[in-house]
This record gives sequence, structure tokens and C-alpha cells, in this order.
Amino acid sequence: MDPSEVEFLAEKEMVKIIPNFSLDKIYLIGGDLGPFNPGLPVDVPVWLALNLKQRQKCRIVPPAWMDVEKLEEMRELERKEDTFSPVPSPYYMELTKVLLNHASDNIPKADEIRTLVKDIWDTRIAKLRLSADSFISQLEAHAKLDNLTLMEINTIRAFLLDSLNCMYKLRSNLQPGSSKKQFTDY
Amino acid sequence: MFITDIRKDFYEVVANQRVALLVASDIDALCACKILQVLFHCDQVQYTLVPVTGWQDLSTAFLEHKEQFRYFVLINCGANVDLLEMLQPDDDSVFFICDTHRPVDVVNVYNDSQIKLLIKQDDDLGVPSYDDIFRDEDEGEGSDSGNESEEGSEPSGKRRRFDEGAVERRIERRRAKRDWEARRREILFDYEQYEYHGTSASIMFFELAWVLTKDTKDMLWWAVIGLTDQWVHDKITHMKYVTDIATMQRHVSRHNHRNEDEENSLSIDCMRISFEYDLRLTLYQHWSLYESICNSCYTSCNFKLWTLNGQKKLQEFLADMGLPLKQVRQKFHSMDMSIKENLRDVIEESSNKYGMKDIRIQTFGVHFGFKNRFLASDMVHATTALLESTEKDESASDNFIKALDSLSRSNLDRLHSGIDLAKKKLMAIQQTVASCICTNLIVSQGPFLYCYLMEGTPDVKLFSKPMALTLLCKYLLKAFVQSTRNKRCKLLPLVMAAPKDVEKGSVIVVGIPPESETSDKKNFFGRAFEKAAESTSSRTLHDNFDTSIITLKTEDRSKFLDALITLLS
Repeated sequence: MDPSEVEFLAEKEMVKIIPNFSLDKIYLIGGDLGPFNPGLPVDVPVWLALNLKQRQKCRIVPPAWMDVEKLEEMRELERKEDTFSPVPSPYYMELTKVLLNHASDNIPKADEIRTLVKDIWDTRIAKLRLSADSFISQLEAHAKLDNLTLMEINTIRAFLLDSLNCMYKLRSNLQPGSSKKQFTDY
Repeated sequence: MFITDIRKDFYEVVANQRVALLVASDIDALCACKILQVLFHCDQVQYTLVPVTGWQDLSTAFLEHKEQFRYFVLINCGANVDLLEMLQPDDDSVFFICDTHRPVDVVNVYNDSQIKLLIKQDDDLGVPSYDDIFRDEDEGEGSDSGNESEEGSEPSGKRRRFDEGAVERRIERRRAKRDWEARRREILFDYEQYEYHGTSASIMFFELAWVLTKDTKDMLWWAVIGLTDQWVHDKITHMKYVTDIATMQRHVSRHNHRNEDEENSLSIDCMRISFEYDLRLTLYQHWSLYESICNSCYTSCNFKLWTLNGQKKLQEFLADMGLPLKQVRQKFHSMDMSIKENLRDVIEESSNKYGMKDIRIQTFGVHFGFKNRFLASDMVHATTALLESTEKDESASDNFIKALDSLSRSNLDRLHSGIDLAKKKLMAIQQTVASCICTNLIVSQGPFLYCYLMEGTPDVKLFSKPMALTLLCKYLLKAFVQSTRNKRCKLLPLVMAAPKDVEKGSVIVVGIPPESETSDKKNFFGRAFEKAAESTSSRTLHDNFDTSIITLKTEDRSKFLDALITLLS
């Protein structure tokens, strides 16, 4: 999967906006949206929020978890635990990037939030690498992957699968008669 | 006719239509175009952008697009000529003209159906009143024929009396008509004699955005750049510049108050515009201070840096301020912080001693991100250099698009390449000015000064473009006024000619008004060039939107000049 595909999936998340125009309820395939009234908050998917923001038709309200104190707590929690801690939103990384790139004037303390989210991401990726490393070196059969987000899984997926494939080939070569010569690609 | 409610009469009319944007090639037009483009993007209005460099371009573009478009928006072109006569449009074409060129042609002002002017009416236009110029011909005829029919129905006895009365009245009418026509010619001559510039087009469009409450900091910055372009290229008076700066300052404070808050400070990447009372040294923050002082018109002319004495004075000036030469020759960013902190005040103090009272000028600066700080005049110079770049294989519309792109915040490398080109252009201008003054290339022809750049002059290709040549012309005149002892020559205007196209054998001729403190920047050379060309039947092309810039065949140069001298003396 391409990171841009993951970002595309992330844009389905809902976010609150405050429009400055009025429009009746719109009926889309994915669901109903609206009605839009100037000054009243309404929940819309991120893709629509970004489009409206670029056309200067709304103001984006940062999600509840995008707050300096909450993110600091999460970062501390992440650093303390060995396993992955619960994540603020299943698409926290993509939403941060997209909202801070396009709507940083609506989000207070945008620079600090960016740094905090990056810190959380770095810690989690480090844990992921460590666990993948131990998984391969100790030849474990299964691993626990709760609280991982799609973006993090995506960063390691290609490498992990290829390396497991290689390991399998190497191992099956070491034991010549025992396994049937079948090479399945994952 | 003049539009009063720009939102109702212009924007809401075009918002549902496809529009053709015909944009002239100057920075103010580019900025206005950018603002309008963003507004159109917000409301998803379909438009076609056509850059035009002159009247011929405009006519061609109109002919190409008149089938598909009903609404045309002309930016910085079209107001000073009878547009309907030139383009011969169909009756349903509507032209919205936002142009800084004055005087606005009277036909454009009084046409109610097809020409809509996006120009503020309090802009000291001085348009003659309708009755002074236009008269219904039918009135005269109607009363005449009415008399004749009366004559027929009356018995013949009274005919002679009526005849005499009718003849007298006819003679009266004819005399009144001749008087009226003579007065009309005089009024029109006075009105159209001088060419000057009005409020910047980008400020007009920014105010449209403001009325629509869609104004952003980007648009405000472009409006500031448009205004600064008018000042850098000497199109408006100092008073007008200061007044417009005050208007812009109100908008800037409004935007700054909207977003800044003690606890929720804005991200460093957001654009911040600030009012600066900054130095008049061109591009000094992107160059070294020394280079900037040597290549800015104001300092170079005041120190007379083409003379040895001038160089010595410059060294004294730097020593007076306590700036070591090594620091001053470095790139500005790498200068010591201790020097940079009070630089402006230190320079102002010292320059007062050397007779430069206005070394500081009111302007605006922008900064976004940690590295990017620009002054409005930096942007103007960079974009002009890109717009008129003389690289091979680049058409005028390519340059237009590159210059337009460099105005966006995301195209910083283009902007930096523009700054480099601008530095080269400024150095070329200074060297040309120095050589012209030292070799006495400026000759007084009586009513004006004249200078011709030979083909072999270094960088003469740069000066085949109108804006670069005009800038050179202005700097040259300022330098000449400083260096000559002849009091009469100081009050003369300057006409400058430079080779435009060596293969076709054409030269570009520019005329600028005389240099003075209280100059109102009104240029009479437009009409003068036209008359001189007519009287000598020289092969000229009055293609530029500024009528004081024409193209002429090299062979006709001398007779054109003689005609101009006789005309103006």
C-alpha cells in the first residue's frame, strides 16, 4: 500500500467545521451531510473540510485530541510502556499532517503539536522495529499487534513480509529432504 | 460607465459565466490577476487567462476568443483608448476594465452598455462633462426640418419672412456648432494631453475580495506588491503612494489582530505581514550591504558613485557609521548581529549628514517560515526581472507564467532565481548609467535631453524591454541631474532610445517627464510621439499600453527626432 492510499483512507474520518455559507442537507452515497448554517458547527469528512477550507468557506475546529497537554500525556505514556499504548485516533499521523498543512491558522500552537505528534510516532516506530527484530531473530510464530495504526503497519509491512519470505527460503534450503519443494509467495 | 457596486455589478455578473481575462505585462496586473484567480477558484468560476503585451496582442486575443466568451475582464489595459472602435465587438460582449492608465477615454466613460470601468470615481479623473463632448445631432436637424415643413404649409405671402428667419437661425446654429466643436477639441486636447497612472488594479481587486469577505493575507500581500510596483517604477506621486500605504496599513492591522493572541500564537509557517519603515536600498537583505548601496539609484546618485570622489565619499560614509568593510561586503545574512540590530537607525543618521534625507521609506515586509523574509520592493524587482528575462527560447507568455508563479509562496526557488536576475539587471543599469554620464552620451536637444544606447553596449539586450529601459531612463535622469552644472538642463525631460531588434532594425524609444521634487508624473510624450511620427511618416509602432513607449525603425530615427524637437520647442 502506498502512504498516499493510507492518507486517502484517513480522509474519511469526521471532523468538525464551522461553515460561513448555508446549504441544505446533501445526500451522498457515503451518507448524509449537513445542513450547513453559517456559524454553526457541523461534522463532515476530512476531504470535504479541506476542500471547503481551501475555498475559504469554513473554519476547521481541531479534534479534541489535538491539544498540547493531552498529547504530552500520551507521549509520556508511550515512553513508559513497552507495549503500544492506545492511540488518540486510528489515523492520528495523517490527520495531523493534513490539518496542519492546510489549516494551521485555525489550530492553536500548531508547531508544538507537530513536534509532539512526531515524538509519539518516533517512539512507536522504535518499539515496532524492536519487536519485529525480536520476532525474526527468535523465530516466533505469532505476535500481538494491538493499538497499531494502519500507517505504522504500512511502514513495516513490505520489509517484514519480504524478510520472512527470505527467511523461509533460507530455512527450507537448509533442510533438503524434509519439506516439499513448494515456494509460495506471500 | 463607472461601476459603483463592484460586488453586484461585476462579481455576481461574472460568477456564473465563463470569463476571459486579458492581462497586461506589468507587476501590478500580475498581482491583480492572482487575486482574481484565487477568488475565481473559491467560487469555481471558469476562466481563460491570456497575457497580452500590447494593443496588437489584445486585438488578436479578442478575435480568438470572441466566439466563446461574452465577458472579458481587462487588467491594466484598454481604458485609455476607444475600445469599441478598436476591437469592433458584437453587441452582447461586455468588457470589465480595471486599468491604471489615465486619462480614461471619454467613449469608455460614457458608454453605458458594453464598457464597465472598475475604477474609483474619486480618483481625480477630471473627465469632461457629457454635454461638452457629445451632442445629439438629431436636435439640430429636427428643428430645421420642422421649420421647412412649416414653410410649406404657410401661404406664400409669409414665406419670405419665414425664409429670412429660418436662414438666420441656420447661420446662428452653424456658428454655435463651430464654436462648440472648437471648444470640444480644446477640452479633449487638455484632457488627453498628459498620461499618468491612477490607483493600483491590485488594490481594486483586493477591495473586491474584502467586500466579499474572502480576503486572505496572500491577497493582501499581492495588493501591497502591486502598489509597490507603481512606486518602484515611478508611476505614481509620493503623496499618492503614502496615502495608499495608509489604506493598506489599515488592512494589515486588521489581519494581524485577527489571528495573534497571547496564548494561541500562530504557527511559524503562517504568513505575517508587517509595516516596515525600511531602507531604500534595493534588495539589501538578499545581497551584501555594500553591493546594495552601490547599485541602488538613490544612494548611487547622491554619492555620485561613478566618480572617484563619490567612491571616497562612500568609504567615508561607511567609516562614519563604524561598519568595517569586511562586514559590509559579506552577504547580509552573515553580517554580525550587533551590526544588524541598529542598522536602519545608524544608516539614517549618517545619511542625513550626507544630504540623503529620505533614505527610509514606508513599506511592508512579509515573513513565513524561519528563513523567508522579503520586502515588497524585493518581490517587485524579482518578478519584473522574471517577466522581462531575455533568455533565448522563452516566449513572452512563458515569462508571464513564470513571473505569475513566483508570486505564490510555494515557488520560492523561482523567486530566488528572480532575485538573482534582478541583481544582474541592477548592476547592468548602474554600469550603463556610469558609462553614459562619463562619456557624456546625454545630449541636450533643446526642449529635451536625448540619449541613444549603441548596439555594442554591454547588456543592451536587457534594455530592449520597456520596463527595464524605463527604469534605466529614470536612473539616468536622476544621475544626470546630480552631475550636470547647467541649471536649465536639470528641468528637461529625457528621451532615450535603445536597439530593440537588430535583425528587424528597430529601436525602442521611451520618454519620461523631468525630474523634480514635486513632480506629478504626468507624461506628455505619448501625444508628442504620435504627432512627430505622423508629420514625418516614420514607421512607428505605438503598441505598448503606455503611450510614451514606442518602437521605431532605426533609419527613421533622425527625422523623427528632428520632428520631435520642432514640435516641442
